[in-house]
Amino acid sequence: MWLWFSKLGSPKWFYELSGRWLPWLIAAMTIFITVGVIWGLLYLPPDYQQGYTSRILIVHVAVAGTSLAFFPLMAVAGVITMVWRMKLADMVAKMAAPIGAWFSFLTLATGSIWGSISWGTWWEWTDARLVTMLFQLFLLLGVISLRSALEDQDKAAKACALLSIVGLINVVVIKYSVEWWNVLHQVASPVSLSADSPNGPQFWIAIAIMIVAMYLFLSVSLILATRNEILQRERRSQWVQDLVRQS
Amino acid sequence: MLEAIQFSSFSEFIHMGGYGFKIWSVYGLFAIFIAANLLLPMRKRKQILREQKRRLTINDEISRNI
Repeated sequence: MWLWFSKLGSPKWFYELSGRWLPWLIAAMTIFITVGVIWGLLYLPPDYQQGYTSRILIVHVAVAGTSLAFFPLMAVAGVITMVWRMKLADMVAKMAAPIGAWFSFLTLATGSIWGSISWGTWWEWTDARLVTMLFQLFLLLGVISLRSALEDQDKAAKACALLSIVGLINVVVIKYSVEWWNVLHQVASPVSLSADSPNGPQFWIAIAIMIVAMYLFLSVSLILATRNEILQRERRSQWVQDLVRQS
Repeated sequence: MLEAIQFSSFSEFIHMGGYGFKIWSVYGLFAIFIAANLLLPMRKRKQILREQKRRLTINDEISRNI
């Protein structure tokens, strides 16, 4: 276990392993995104209440759900960095923040467009779900600017780990906001694959495909970014120099 | 497969029950989001490799001339 742990923490080991995994991950991601988008745009029947706007929801729900994974990931990576001094965990935490900001932004943008049709408003300050999601975006932008402002990498890692704990608490609030407060944003509909479910099995299958697609996309983009960070931080090590010479 | 398609004409597909512009905007943003997070790190990787290669070649030459 410990040997495996220290091996996993080695940037070189991660770089080589991820290099072998990447083609497969990219292939799976491409298939899931293509199938999800084609299904959503061509085959998804108009919803019994929302008509064609349910097409916005399959993107929104998948992106929003995946955006909640970032702070738990960064908090765990932060703790690993603090406790075991694992460099790789800090690199992952650093590179996850901008991708998480993209996810949060797209969640807000697609939700806003959907709201403009279904609620008749683009934004509602009194809605806890909307405001906490905006707070997540600001927290992530905060983490990014902290990283670039603090020269000392140890200090930056510590400050970002702390912010990630705040973000982690916020994720729980985002998740339950629709149940704790009476807000505009609806609670999650019951998932049902039976033919007579209100939203229809087609809708849930489309969402499931898109969620898998978004987790694959999260993995691919995070691995690509982390490999870049490894090349930069480990540039003095022999294996990176050999790799650069061969490129 | 083909009969399951929800549109009978191309203009109906673009129109999407009157919400065409908003629905297509969502998918457009989605495409930008996917492309940016894949292409930017790939371009960055090329930059990093080029930059480090240049630095290594300069270092090699300096050490050869000493």
